[in-house]
Amino acid sequence: MLGGLFFVPMVGLLGILIAWYRRDPRRFLDGPTEDAPLRLMRWAIGLLAPQRAEWGQAMLGELGCIEDRIRRTRFALGCASAALVLPPWGRAATGVWAMILLAAGAIGLYAGMAVHYGLGGGGGWIAVSILTVFVLGVLLGASALVRRPGVALPGLLGGLFIAVIFLTVSGFTFLDQILPNTVGWHRLVQVIAVPFLVGAVGTWWSRDPIIGKRIVRLAAITASLGLFAYTTIAVAVIGGGGPPDQDGGFTLRGTISDRIGNNMVLLGFTILVFATIGWGGAAAAGRLLRCTPAGTGPVTSNPVPPQEA
Amino acid sequence: MQRNRPPSPQAINVLRALAADPARWRYGYDLATEVHLKSGSLYPILVRLADRGLLETSWEPGVGSRPPRHLYRLTGDGRDFVAALTAARADRTVPAMHNRWSEA
Repeated sequence: MLGGLFFVPMVGLLGILIAWYRRDPRRFLDGPTEDAPLRLMRWAIGLLAPQRAEWGQAMLGELGCIEDRIRRTRFALGCASAALVLPPWGRAATGVWAMILLAAGAIGLYAGMAVHYGLGGGGGWIAVSILTVFVLGVLLGASALVRRPGVALPGLLGGLFIAVIFLTVSGFTFLDQILPNTVGWHRLVQVIAVPFLVGAVGTWWSRDPIIGKRIVRLAAITASLGLFAYTTIAVAVIGGGGPPDQDGGFTLRGTISDRIGNNMVLLGFTILVFATIGWGGAAAAGRLLRCTPAGTGPVTSNPVPPQEA
Repeated sequence: MQRNRPPSPQAINVLRALAADPARWRYGYDLATEVHLKSGSLYPILVRLADRGLLETSWEPGVGSRPPRHLYRLTGDGRDFVAALTAARADRTVPAMHNRWSEA
């Protein structure tokens, strides 16, 4: 009953967003052939390694000659699956697969705990559904970012850096992640200084604040998914053990539900905060770059060869 | 390092379809329809065949708003490979048929 209170507005909101998107006249700017299969195909071939770009164009060429919508959809789905697995993997495909595996592992573990501790009846499945929809949206956003030139590798490394510093400061043990004993400067380093630094370094390295902002957005997603996976593993290992939570439940199920719920909130919170603070760092570095005479920064005019979008 | 694994049954079907008229350039979608393969299986096969030098590719210019199309046909090595495959299959089939007749 309580779950329905959250689920119905969520589905309603999703329906409104889809309806709003479908009536947006800008989606027809590329002509009537700009349909879902074509968009899917363009998304997928953007993940191909540069040396496979010709094959992406070959798939697009064939799709252009298929009229029937169902056949177009089937063809595009097949090509998209081929583009995701076709070796050699480019940085974009590697990044997407790394994040998909991370997210799938964390969601699987989360769902496993919901089953193991019998949390499904108390809105546990609603939470898993919301988490899955949220993570799918995050992965879709990340897949758009990794295809941009010069974003995939620094974004993934930046995310790894943010996550490692976050865990180092709060303590690597699982108990430290479930019941963190952090003081003010810890939070300052974890959520302000490091994301700001990643945004600033990303902009300085790419010498383009727009690329720097993309790098830090990808880093925020990578770091948050990594932290979510780590803290979910921590709950799976510790279970209801350790000192009692200050705001936790009084039963084992209540404690577990509270702990995995905290992880879910942390996922949304860290993505938002890392991306926002990092955006600020990228903007600040961009302003400094504009004031710096050309030739004094690192020479990285085009760190990654451009890929076909 | 490129691995030269034996071709899969699906890849053999594609090779045979191309070998039926080796001089003719073929479209990917037509090949997929002919050998009953989905695009997700066909393109990795075409990529592997091209990487092994068994397939040559070309582009047909786009017509109107339609994009250019990729065309495929067997190379000389590809034709030799299909001929060798057919010969090897015949070698295996004759003893098998002989055994079946012997058992009867």
